[in-house]
Amino acid sequence: MADTKTKEKEPLFSKKNLGLVKDPLADNNPITVQVLGICSALAITAELKASVIMALSVIFVTAMGNVVISLMRNIIPNSIRIITQLVVAATLVILVDLTLKAFVPDLAKKLSVFIGLIITNCIIMGRFEAFALGNTPWKSFLDGIGNGLGYGVILVIVGFFRELLGSGDLFGLGKTYLGHPLLGNPIKGELSGLYALGYENNGFMLLAPMALITLGLIIGFQRSRNKSLIEETH
Amino acid sequence: MDLLQLFLKSIFIDNMVFATFLGMCSYLAVSKKVSTAVGLGAAVIFVMLVTVPLNYLLDQYLLRPGALVWLGDEYVDYDLSFLTFILFIATIATMVQLVEMIVEKFAPALYNSLGIFLPLIAVNCAILGGSLFMQQKEFNNITEATVYGVGSGIGWFLAILAIGAIREKIRYSNVPPAFRGLGITFILTGLMAIGFMSFGGMLTGGDEAPKKEVVEAIPPTEMKEVTPVEEVKTDSTAVETVKDSLTEIAQN
Amino acid sequence: MSTKRTDSNIYTIVFAVILVVVVGSLLAFFANATKDMRVNNDKVKTQLDILSSIGVEATRANATEMFNQYIKKQFVVEGTTATEDAEAYLIDVKKEQNAAKEGKTQRLPIFEAEKDGKTIYIVPVRGNGLWDAIWGYVALNDDLKSIYGVFFDHKGETPGLGANITEPFFKDDFKGEMIYGPSGDFKSVTVSKSNGDPNNTDKTDNEVDAISGATITGNGVTAMLKKGLGLYLPYFETLKK
Repeated sequence: MADTKTKEKEPLFSKKNLGLVKDPLADNNPITVQVLGICSALAITAELKASVIMALSVIFVTAMGNVVISLMRNIIPNSIRIITQLVVAATLVILVDLTLKAFVPDLAKKLSVFIGLIITNCIIMGRFEAFALGNTPWKSFLDGIGNGLGYGVILVIVGFFRELLGSGDLFGLGKTYLGHPLLGNPIKGELSGLYALGYENNGFMLLAPMALITLGLIIGFQRSRNKSLIEETH
Repeated sequence: MDLLQLFLKSIFIDNMVFATFLGMCSYLAVSKKVSTAVGLGAAVIFVMLVTVPLNYLLDQYLLRPGALVWLGDEYVDYDLSFLTFILFIATIATMVQLVEMIVEKFAPALYNSLGIFLPLIAVNCAILGGSLFMQQKEFNNITEATVYGVGSGIGWFLAILAIGAIREKIRYSNVPPAFRGLGITFILTGLMAIGFMSFGGMLTGGDEAPKKEVVEAIPPTEMKEVTPVEEVKTDSTAVETVKDSLTEIAQN
Repeated sequence: MSTKRTDSNIYTIVFAVILVVVVGSLLAFFANATKDMRVNNDKVKTQLDILSSIGVEATRANATEMFNQYIKKQFVVEGTTATEDAEAYLIDVKKEQNAAKEGKTQRLPIFEAEKDGKTIYIVPVRGNGLWDAIWGYVALNDDLKSIYGVFFDHKGETPGLGANITEPFFKDDFKGEMIYGPSGDFKSVTVSKSNGDPNNTDKTDNEVDAISGATITGNGVTAMLKKGLGLYLPYFETLKK
């Protein structure tokens, strides 16, 4: 799980450093491969907008937290290491929470307790422990961005499908993309697009279980394309 | 009666795993065998039992706006709610450490079966989630908070026990390679969550029966004593309860 | 990576104290800096909700301005007496309901709005849906017998089912609905699954069509309206005179 990186001198954007950002996006994705941080996120993926905000919040916390922990890595007493990490994570999450409440109050309400749950998001603690404690701030920053992005990508994909199929909308703009005339000619009155062909929004996509099933399908899809990720055991 | 309802609701309807996806990391990682699943599940119930009431007290007497009023009237304007996350997680981490030490000292047998799971629990989202939902639900007293905590813990226990059992059996099935392990576990959890949704019918109380007049007319003379009239008819049969939950699902 | 220096107890304690002080002051500073914005956000949200019940769709930017433009007077009702209070809309209905349970008098806010030359009375209501609290505002025409418009919101009803009480198709059904029966007795408005009037053309049946799949939320709305409006009846009687 942990990346094993050497500590030699390298340029800021060396291939290895870029790998820190790129790897978590696909083959070492924190959600689908490392199986970390599913908890705090899936409940809010019924809407794309909430997913994006959540993803940004997590990226901020992983990146900044990694930097802070990395800066402190030589002065943290070993006996209170875990609690120090929790305090750093909690502080950053509170900052995010207060910012959201001040600037996007409506969305903050929707995310409710799930912003707070970023603290116990295993990705955060996992990266602090496995990477930031042993690496320089710059590398830790990239690692944080990478893992946050990898996490965010999955959230956004799940959010995209759930909102599109569940309410025919994206970003809550009140449009029905599936009702676009290009997808089918308006036949019956005001119905257009797929709706004219008899399609209806699948409200079930908005309910909790479908987040899990969507994620299961994404994992299956990823693994069928990259056979090396397939698990031997069940 | 309310407490019983709250208890059942927090186990089945507001199930930590199936309704809010909390504690998924350890749920997925530790559910390969039933025996370990039981160990972790028991530890979660135990820690929830301790931390939810404790955090309830913290919230009531320290964190919420005006909570410091017991110190004196001049503290009525203080609002420490921004410290919620940090204090909750600190309480949880401390309690987990404390519980671990106590169990190790006084019940070594229990420690051997539970002990290895306790450190995992501090970062289990279900525990913090339990406390945060407790705060959001604004319970009236500590009994309700405790019942909610235990109920949620049991709900999580049930979930991990069930998936553990299924994963032990599914190894004899021919799952498509790409879905082996994680993929099928997610889909199974989703299907179980759909199943658990039907528990929502417990709340409908079987009031689907066609009713002519739900609200009794109140003569104008009695207007001053308008009290909320219990809307749920109690004369419906169990069959209608089932029918109701079925329609609810079908209409989804 | 651990050294002798960082393993000593004194170092650990000093480190912990410094950490707590730094984190504490940082958070306190940030919380204070954003406090006004957060408080204001909540106020604006209430104003938007109230305006929405009389069909005025404002944005967060112009909410206060619109609120002052439409809402002419605000009262707090206690029993049958009303006192004017310019900040009545900030009364926490939930707190008042709890106070009423403890035997205290419930302070009931009521707002007098003026739109298109008509006087409209708006009252808040609050109750429970399937999962959690639901609340809203009911705007009554100046005869105090029929509904001008409603606004509903909820904490966590099922998306696509109970959550649809916030949708216009549900709220619009309430427009014009009578809250009194033919003989003048208070009936409130019932969210009904069997009213045989899906298009809601009959405005005197005291019923609106329910959302399928959302029985409990609908019953919650019914109970909330009955209880919420019922509280104001004694005061309405004095207004009509």
